[in-house]
Amino acid sequence: MEIIVFYLFAAIAVIAALGVVGLRNPVYAALCLAVVFVSFAGLYVLLSAPFIAVAQVMIYAGAILILFVFVIMLLSPPVDQGEGALKWQKPLALGFVGALAVQLVLVLALAVLPSARGSLTPEVIAQRGDVQVVGAALFSDYLLPFEMTSLLLLVAIVGVIVLAKKR
Amino acid sequence: MAVNAPVAPAELKSNLNDPLVIAEKIKAQYPTAVEAANAQGIVVQGEQLLEVARYLHDTPELGFDYLHNVTSVDYPDRLEVVYHVSNLARGGTPLTLKVNAARQDPAVPSLVPVYRGANFQEREVYDMMGVRFLGHPNLRRILLWDGFEGFPLRKDYKEPYYEDERKPFGTRWDQGHHVIAEDRNPWHDNVKYPASFDAVGYKPQRDTVRTVGAEDAVATKLRTDKLVLNIGPQHPSTHGVLRLKVTLDGETVVAAEPVLGYLHRNHEKIGERNTYLQNIPFTDRLDYITSMANNLAYVVGVEKLMGIKAPERAEYLRVIMAELTRWISHIAAIGFIYNDLGAFYTPLLYGLEERELVLDLFEAASGSRMMCNYMRFGGVARDVPEGFLDKVQYLVTERFPRRMDELEAYMVGNELFTARARNIGILPRDLAINYSAAGPVLRASGVKYDLRRADPYSIYDRFEFDVPVGTVGDMHDRFTVRIAEMRESVKILKQALAQIPAGEIMTGKKNYQIRVPKGEVYGRAENPKGELGFFMVSDGTPNPYRYHVRAPAFINLTALNEMVVGHKIADLIVILGSLDVVMGEVDR
Amino acid sequence: MTLEPWLITVIEALIKVLVVIVVLLTGFAYLTLVERYVVAKIQSRVGPNRVGAAGGIAWLQPIADAVKMIMKEDFWPAQADKVTYTLAPGIAVATALLAWAVIPLNPAITVFGYTINFYIADVNVALLFLLAVGSLGIYGIVLGGWGSNNKYSMLGALRSTAQMISYEISLGLALVGVLMISGSLSLVKIVEQQSFWWFVFFQPVGFVIYFIAAVAEVNRLPFDLPEAETELVAGYQTEYSSLKFALFYMAEYINMITVSAIASTMFLGGYQGPFGILPGAHWLILKILFFIFVMMWMRGTLPRFRYDQLMRFGWKVLLPLALANIFVTAVVLVLIGK
Repeated sequence: MEIIVFYLFAAIAVIAALGVVGLRNPVYAALCLAVVFVSFAGLYVLLSAPFIAVAQVMIYAGAILILFVFVIMLLSPPVDQGEGALKWQKPLALGFVGALAVQLVLVLALAVLPSARGSLTPEVIAQRGDVQVVGAALFSDYLLPFEMTSLLLLVAIVGVIVLAKKR
Repeated sequence: MAVNAPVAPAELKSNLNDPLVIAEKIKAQYPTAVEAANAQGIVVQGEQLLEVARYLHDTPELGFDYLHNVTSVDYPDRLEVVYHVSNLARGGTPLTLKVNAARQDPAVPSLVPVYRGANFQEREVYDMMGVRFLGHPNLRRILLWDGFEGFPLRKDYKEPYYEDERKPFGTRWDQGHHVIAEDRNPWHDNVKYPASFDAVGYKPQRDTVRTVGAEDAVATKLRTDKLVLNIGPQHPSTHGVLRLKVTLDGETVVAAEPVLGYLHRNHEKIGERNTYLQNIPFTDRLDYITSMANNLAYVVGVEKLMGIKAPERAEYLRVIMAELTRWISHIAAIGFIYNDLGAFYTPLLYGLEERELVLDLFEAASGSRMMCNYMRFGGVARDVPEGFLDKVQYLVTERFPRRMDELEAYMVGNELFTARARNIGILPRDLAINYSAAGPVLRASGVKYDLRRADPYSIYDRFEFDVPVGTVGDMHDRFTVRIAEMRESVKILKQALAQIPAGEIMTGKKNYQIRVPKGEVYGRAENPKGELGFFMVSDGTPNPYRYHVRAPAFINLTALNEMVVGHKIADLIVILGSLDVVMGEVDR
Repeated sequence: MTLEPWLITVIEALIKVLVVIVVLLTGFAYLTLVERYVVAKIQSRVGPNRVGAAGGIAWLQPIADAVKMIMKEDFWPAQADKVTYTLAPGIAVATALLAWAVIPLNPAITVFGYTINFYIADVNVALLFLLAVGSLGIYGIVLGGWGSNNKYSMLGALRSTAQMISYEISLGLALVGVLMISGSLSLVKIVEQQSFWWFVFFQPVGFVIYFIAAVAEVNRLPFDLPEAETELVAGYQTEYSSLKFALFYMAEYINMITVSAIASTMFLGGYQGPFGILPGAHWLILKILFFIFVMMWMRGTLPRFRYDQLMRFGWKVLLPLALANIFVTAVVLVLIGK
C-alpha cells in the first residue's frame, strides 16, 4: 500500500519536474513546480514527517511560489520560442548534466550508503509528537542556525523597506 | 451671504446684472469689443472675447465668476455662440454674451483659460455646430464619435429617417397608399461612414493585459508601469452607459477621461422639430429620475418667453411635485453612493422603498410613475385627486422625518463610511465655481448658491428654508449636503401644504398649440442634480427655433478628473457616484 | 467473506469522503438560498418565492439555479490562456473541499462492534494542514484572474493575492493561542479538550482576530475586494460563465462553511455543546450556521474597505494584535504553570 503511494507521488514529482524544465510558458513551469512541491509533501508524509510536509506546502507552494507566479504574470515575459536565445548555453548545459550523471552513477556504484537508524524512529515521533520533535531540535541542537536565519530575514526585511522608501 | 435670506427678486437686481451697464463698462476698457448691446445681452467682437471674459471674471467689482451655459444658434447668415455668466454671490439673472461667427468655418476663442467649466460645453458646441474654439485644450467631438460626418444641430443637417422640418408632419397617405419614413429619407441609408473609415476591414485594437507596462515607463520617468482601463460603457457602477478611460498606476488613478455619447439621441434636434408642447414629455427623459423637476424647468422657461403666469394652486402643486422629486432623487443618490462603496444594495433599497410611495403619488396625479409629463404652460395638466394632499401630509410629517433620522444615524455615523468618504474627491471652492459645478456638488464645496434663492422662480420666494453647504467639498460633504437638502425639502413641503389654496390649475383654456412670441430666453430651475437650464430661441412659429439644454450632470462631469487624480480606483467609482450623474441627461 | 483491514479503512474513507462532498455541495446550494432570504429580509424584500415554493420558501430554487447555470454558454474569452482558465475553478473547489478531510464532525460512535470516527483523517498536524490547503486556494484565484486575459480579472487577482497572503498571517497567529492552550495540532484532540470550557473563553481576542481574518480570507464583505463588483465588475471571475463560474461560486460558499467550521472547532468546541450539554454534530451545524449568518448579515449592512485601508488594517492592526495575544497567552500560561 505504502509503496504504491510512494511510486505515485514519485512519478508525479518526476513528471512535473520535467515539466518545469521543459515547458516553454513560464507560468506553466511555475505551476509544475507547485505540483513538485505538493508531491514532495506527500513523500514527507510517507516518511512520517507530516509537519515538514505541511510546512513544505504552506511555505513553498502557498507563499513563495505564489509570489513567483505573480511576478511572472505581472512582468509577462514572452513565451520562449525555443531557438534563438540561449545558443551557447546549450552545449554547456549538456556537458554539466553529463558530468552530474557520471558523478551520480559513480557514487551509487562505489560508495556504501550508511543506513543506520537514527534516534527518531516513527514510533518515537508518534509518541512525542511530530511538531514537538521538530521544535525541540530547532531550539536546542540547531539554535544557532535558526537564529542566524532569523537575522538574515530581518536584514532582508530592512533592505526591502529601504528600497521601497527610496521611491 | 446675501443669497441666503428670502428676498424679493426686485432687490436682487443689482444694476451690475444689467447688460447695458456692463456693456458701458466693457466699452470703457475695450472700445472696439462691443458690437451691440440691449437688455437681452451683449454682442461681443469675436477676437476680443477672451479679453472681455477675463475682464468680467477678474475685475473684483464685476466678478462674473461662474459660466452657466455655452451654446450656439444657427441663423441663416451666421452662427451665434451664446454664453451665460453670472456672479454667484450676487445671484440674479445671468448676463448673456454673444459672439457671431461665419457659417463657413466658424471659429471663436475658447473660454477654457478663464472658465474651466467651458471645456465640455465648448466641445459639445463644436460637436453639434462645428464651431472651432481656438485655444481649447482638447477640441474633439464629445457626444458623437470622432468619425461622424456633419454637424447635426445645423439647420441644413438632415438626420436619417428625416421626414420634415417641423412637426406636425404631413400625411403619409398623400399618394393613396401608406409611405414609410425610410422611403422619404433623402439618403435612404441609415448608416453612413465618413470617407476615411473602412467599415469592412475594421478591427478593434488589440487590448491585452500581458503587455502592461515597460513601454511607457521610461517616458514618464515613473518607475512603475501604467495600465489603461476602460471602465464602462458596460460596467455595474457607471450609472448607465458612461465610459471612463482611466490611466492607473497600480491602483492609483493618474488620469480619468469621461467618454460620452453612448445614450446620445440628439434631444435638442428632436426638440427643434417638436412643437413646444410636444417637448414636455421629452424633458421627462432627460434625467429620468426627476421628470417633474425637468418639466418645471422647461415650463418656467417657456412661460417667461410667453409672459404668462400659472395660477396659485398650480404653482403650489408644482412646488410640491418638485420638492417631492428632490427628495426621492437625493435618497436614491445617497443610496447609490453607498452602493458604490460596496454596501450590498441595502441602503439603496431602503431609499427606493420611500421612493415607491412618492411614485405612487405621482402616478395618482399624472398617470405615470416616472415619465410624469405633468406640467403645462400656465399651469399643470390636471388637478390632484382626492386625498392626494393628505397622503403627502402624512409622508412629510410622519414618515420622511423618521426615515431620514434612521438613515442619517446608520449611514453618516458609519465608521467605514467616514474612513472612505472623508477627504476623498475634494473639489475646492474656487475650482467648483470655475468648473461650473452645480447643485449639491457646488454647495458641498461651500458655495451658498441655490437658484431657489439666488434667482427665485415659481413661488419659492415665499418659503422659509436654508441652503445647506459643505465645508471641505469632499465626498462626505456631498453626501451630507444631500441629506440636509432633503430636510429642507420637507420643510418647504410642509409650508406648501399649509398654504395651498383651492382654485384654478390652468391659466386660460387648455391649448394644443400655444402662441410663443419672438424672442429668446434662458429659463432654469434648481433641479436635484443642479441647475437645469433651457435656452430657447423662438421665431414666432409653433416650434422652437433653437432648443438647448444645460444639463447639470454633464457639466459636473467636467470636474471629475480634477477630483479623482491621486485617488484609488475604488474612490473613483465613489466620487463618480457622489456626482450623481444620470446618463439620460448627460448624453441627451 | 472477510475483508482485509486496510481495505475496510479505504472503503470507510471513501464513503466518508463521498458523504462529506455530497453534504457540502447540497449545503452550498441551499446556503445560496439562505443568503438570498437573509439579505432579502435585511433589505425589506421578499426573496425567491416562485420555484417550488411551499410555506413561503422556494425549495427548488437552488436546483433551478443549477440548471440555469449549466445551460448558460460556456464562454471563452479571446486570447485567454485555455489551460489556466480551465484549471482555476477546479483548483478553487478542490482546495476548498480538501480542508474537510481533517474536521471532526461528531463524537465517535460504535456500531456492531465497529467504531466509526466522524472525521476522514486525524492528522496530528491538522491545523497546519488547514492553513496549507487554504494557502493553496489562492492559486485558483490568481490563475483565474491571469488566464482570463482581462484587466479587471488581473486587478482582482492582484488584490486577492496580496490580501489573502496578508490576512493568512493574522489568521494563523490568531490560532496559535489556542494551540498553546491545547498543546496539540490535532483538531480531534482540540475538540475533545473543549468538552466543558470552550476556548473562546480563554481566547476572546484570538477569536475576534480569527473571525475578521477569516472573513477576509473568504473574500466576503467588507473585505470582498478581489471581486468588488462596483469597481472590478466581478474581479477574477469577470470572464467566467456557466459551470466554471458555478465552481468559483461553490468554492466561495464551501470556504465560508470551512472557516466557520474551523472557528467553531477551535473556539466554540466543535461538536461539543456548551458546558458539556448533549455533544453531537447538531451543535457543529448550529455554530456553522451562526457564523454564516453573521457573514451574510455583514454583507447586507456594511460598505467595503478601500484596498489600501484593508492592507493597513491587516498589517498595522490585526497582526500586532495577534502577536500581542500570543505574548499575553504565553505569559499567562507560564504564570499559572501549565
